[in-house]
Amino acid sequence: MYNYDFLTALKIEDALYYLDRLEKVKILAGGTDLIVNIHKKSSRLPHFDYLLDISNIEELKFIALKKQFLEIGSLITHTQLIEDTLIAKYFPILKFAAQTIGSPQIRNRGTIGGNIVNASPAADLLPPLIALKARVELVSPGGKRELTLTEFLSGPYQTKLQENELLTTIKIPLLNEGYLANFQKIGRRKSLAIARLSLALVTRIDSENIFQDSRIVPGSATPYPQSFPVTEGAVNGKRTTDLNLEEIGEIIAKEMISITGKRWSTPYKSKALSALVIRALKEFISKAGTK
Amino acid sequence: MKKIKINLTINGKKITLKVNPQERLIDTLRDRLKLTGTKEGCSIGECGACTVILNGKAVASCLVFTAQIDGSKILTVEGLEVGGKLDPLQQAFLDHHAVQCGFCTPGMLMSAKALLLKNPHPTREEIKTALEGNLCRCTGYEQIIEAIESVTKD
Amino acid sequence: MVYDKVNKPIRRIDGYEKVTGKAKFAADLFFPNLLYGKVLRSKYPHAQIIKINLDKALAYPGVKAIITAKDIPNNKIGVIIQDQQVLAQDEVFFIGDGIAVVAANTLETASKAINLIEVEYKELPGIFDPEEAARKDSFLIHSDRQNNQVIHHRLRKGDTEKGFQDAEIILEREYSTPFVEHAYLEPEVVVAVPYEQNSLVTIYGSIQNPFACRNAVASALKVSLNKVRVIQNHLGGSFGGKDEVISSMSVRAAVLALKTGQPVKLINNREESILESYKRHPYKMKYKIGATREGKLVAMEIKCLADSGAYACQTPFVTWRSVVQATGPYELPHVKTDTYGYFTNNIYTGAMRGYGSPQIIFANESLMDELAQELKMNPLELRLKNIYHNNSITASGQKLDNHTVSLEEVINRAIKESDYINKYQEYNKIQSGDKKKGIGMAISFRGCSLGAEATDAAGAIVAVQRDGSVLISTGLAENGMGLKTVFSQIVAEELGIELNRINYMEVDTSVSPESGSTVASRSTILGGNAVKLAAQQVKDKILAMIAAKYNLRKENLYLKNEGIYEKFNPQKIISYEEMIEVANKEGIFLSAYGWYKAPDIFWDEEAGQGNPYFTYVYGCQVAEVEVDTATGQIEILKITAAHEVGKSINPACLKGQIYGGVIMGLGYGIMEEVETYQGYIRNTNFDEYLIPTIKDKPDLVAIIVENPDPYGPYGAKSIGEPSLELTAAAIANAVAQATGKRIRNLPLNLERVLLGHALSREVNHDV
Repeated sequence: MYNYDFLTALKIEDALYYLDRLEKVKILAGGTDLIVNIHKKSSRLPHFDYLLDISNIEELKFIALKKQFLEIGSLITHTQLIEDTLIAKYFPILKFAAQTIGSPQIRNRGTIGGNIVNASPAADLLPPLIALKARVELVSPGGKRELTLTEFLSGPYQTKLQENELLTTIKIPLLNEGYLANFQKIGRRKSLAIARLSLALVTRIDSENIFQDSRIVPGSATPYPQSFPVTEGAVNGKRTTDLNLEEIGEIIAKEMISITGKRWSTPYKSKALSALVIRALKEFISKAGTK
Repeated sequence: MKKIKINLTINGKKITLKVNPQERLIDTLRDRLKLTGTKEGCSIGECGACTVILNGKAVASCLVFTAQIDGSKILTVEGLEVGGKLDPLQQAFLDHHAVQCGFCTPGMLMSAKALLLKNPHPTREEIKTALEGNLCRCTGYEQIIEAIESVTKD
Repeated sequence: MVYDKVNKPIRRIDGYEKVTGKAKFAADLFFPNLLYGKVLRSKYPHAQIIKINLDKALAYPGVKAIITAKDIPNNKIGVIIQDQQVLAQDEVFFIGDGIAVVAANTLETASKAINLIEVEYKELPGIFDPEEAARKDSFLIHSDRQNNQVIHHRLRKGDTEKGFQDAEIILEREYSTPFVEHAYLEPEVVVAVPYEQNSLVTIYGSIQNPFACRNAVASALKVSLNKVRVIQNHLGGSFGGKDEVISSMSVRAAVLALKTGQPVKLINNREESILESYKRHPYKMKYKIGATREGKLVAMEIKCLADSGAYACQTPFVTWRSVVQATGPYELPHVKTDTYGYFTNNIYTGAMRGYGSPQIIFANESLMDELAQELKMNPLELRLKNIYHNNSITASGQKLDNHTVSLEEVINRAIKESDYINKYQEYNKIQSGDKKKGIGMAISFRGCSLGAEATDAAGAIVAVQRDGSVLISTGLAENGMGLKTVFSQIVAEELGIELNRINYMEVDTSVSPESGSTVASRSTILGGNAVKLAAQQVKDKILAMIAAKYNLRKENLYLKNEGIYEKFNPQKIISYEEMIEVANKEGIFLSAYGWYKAPDIFWDEEAGQGNPYFTYVYGCQVAEVEVDTATGQIEILKITAAHEVGKSINPACLKGQIYGGVIMGLGYGIMEEVETYQGYIRNTNFDEYLIPTIKDKPDLVAIIVENPDPYGPYGAKSIGEPSLELTAAAIANAVAQATGKRIRNLPLNLERVLLGHALSREVNHDV
């Protein structure tokens, strides 16, 4: 049985105060994973003495357009991502990904910050956020630092978040003209589905119809979501008319296996991942063609 | 383990409670307040039987600690019937045979209610999205959708 | 015949409580001094129990009592074979076996206390495959038996050897189906109250079969039946599932209640429910079929192996329904069918909606499409050449001459509604892109009620009260399907009164007539008859009384619109309420007991022949799908379900049964599987055991076909199970058309659709 005290922070500074002075503090945000783990006494949950509820910190509930970034407060729920007009305008891929999460009940409580910090291999927001080169702002009593998501994630269910740090803001660099984005998810059913496999793909097709700056990030394919540089390299620099889609499909499957080794699920995932990348690229090519 | 003092408005009634840190909203409703209309089916937020409306939004009451929601307004299935008059959704569930065993029904009603609070004239697809977190093993969902549509179509 | 109250979509009489949250399910019950129970279950699928030390747990503050097997006077229960341990005695036979149960002041305390119980095990090797269990050199799972076979049923007709010699084409195929969870939304709960109102113990709970539960508790306590009272609460779904597992829980709670003298509530959470409760049987099926080039079937040989898991439970009867129906509804001169059940150390298996039919229908209806393909024939055409008609002789030698054999009618209705013929042709053309469409059909015949597996009778009490209101009580239990409403409609029809005069009582075994179990889609046909007979007796008393009072001929009187009328006279003789006053004054007893025993049937187990059921229902479902051949995802577009039901008492409830059955069948087809490995269960909650959501629901069309049956009340028969049994087979045929690849193992999940076989963390179980 867990024996802990419940702390409520209504301001960032309150949270930092507790994080600074107390040890073994677990942060509670939307709670869609943590509350289950506490209730079920999950062995995956490390021991803690304090549960710090940050879910009522209003300062962390914002979506703001800045000069170079769209900034999202870490307590923005999945529902808010879906309903927000700035997200719909600048990063509809995030809206699509958020729509595939769980159910309204989960989307109404679960937060973008929680999805990131939880760092599940199947986290639905991570592939698109990585593909969008999102950065996280971590605040501690000593100051703040910023990491790219790729730097922040360190393993399955592991991040570089320090014990006294709070994830406050997700900063997504605005994309210039010509960028395209696509998110696909395969589940075993149509709702309440954990991703069997997903793929976020962001790229730019330039005026010469050449792929530039491709970011290819599968979900549920690797121990934790990460970009696939080999596949990205194989796409970049290719003209839409010259891209050998079948070959890209083979490359992404090989790249996955190079990370994971051969697993029991590899025969399925390698084929399906090929299909997803081909499908995304085809869509981009047809969009570029109609321009 | 210190108890936490919480004020809530449940189905229009104000109450003050002292809760344990592990007490989930469903525990408060069912065990403490004996509002047993809210059902527990899975305890992991996957079945929707425990759905209530928290500050206007459908939530799984097994995924909320009561200590988190000081000052909140909660509507449960017991709060739908007002002054002996059924909510139109409740009446529609009766009229359209949207109920079989009845265990998922309170959660279904609360998800549907949350939808209609925000969007009184949803499409069929929007109804399905609003109810996608509520499992039903008896009805095959068909008559539930028909019931909700009967309320939302003019 | 036009009816007033039956054959109408009357609102559910238990609906108000259910939409307001007032309906009390078992978990909602609280009693003074209530204790909470928690079960310690096995750590291994098969092990010897060397020692159990309760000392630390007993010393834990708040713990009131702990029981183990030795506290249970008779530790073995079972409806057919008494081999199920209430608590493990010396050995655990599967991962869900209970070892001890703690009763404590709070659930929290009980949960902590079970972790303090020390059990010393000696882990034993297990058998997890029925084929291995069948081998002569395998160890005995139950040492008091001679082998691991639970049961072997046979069916023999003609001479299959000769039949296959005459065949111009022979196909041999193997199919398999997985363990499936009932997934009722309400996990199991019982409350045992000691010494309540003259009963030794009263059990309240989510109980599908109150009488079976009472038998188990009385036999385990070694007391007479009238000492145990079982009261059913609103039941949050069952589908065959809340029977033996509830009996076992009830015994545990009863023993604890008697030991402590306090009420004990035993609740399963979802994980415990999935770990402990029995499942639908996995089947391995070998089919051999012979036909002529023109598509006339000549012979079939079938062998089915069912995994019974640790206990016999319902396996003997489940496999019997399979042996009767395994060929599907096709005329065949030569049939040889064998069905077997074997013990293993897997989770035990029992009744689940369908009861031995969804497995064999998946096989035989897949096989029909495979044969059609070999014959280059339309699957519909092949079926129509071979289906049962009036006076057909079934595989078991029964002549279908006492009811309308509606197979062709349901097929025609479903085919027309779904546009099967055109779509089948269209989807046979080459389709461009990854996404391919297909359409598939499946048909079945299904014996109504229990059949020759057990005595088949039901009783009902219809009791008119002094104010004219009516109480109905039967031993059949509302499982959510609408039985209370249907029975109330029958009484309203017979007595010519409004539904609001009628109240339907929950089953209380001390009051209600024992009526067998609420299983086998038998409630309407058996219970409905009993209710109708009781109501008719009341009617008879009323008419006799009025005839005498007004000096009229009784046979000319009838009840309608809350009054008593005479033929050819539109003037009401007396209103229902006035009639009640007369009866009160004259001291006429307006209550009656109805008892209906099903028509005689027989089965010769040795010869494998007989008339196993007194009537049958017929169904046809058509599934239209779109398969993403690049990812393995299946989108079910539409399911058309045509079912012949005799007569529909309540068409809206009936459609609810069809929709619900189809969606459960859809889950069986494409996503549901209890994943076991070496006896351990992997998916123990709804995040991993997946059932269809509202978004998985395709367009549904329910078609009700009515050909009143001579034996059914108003001609009504069955719908609960027929609606579920066809869907997976229809989907499999549609997917095969779409992809050109046949999948012979359920479920048709992502891996099977994309790769042709399943993937598992360890081994590939596909046949």
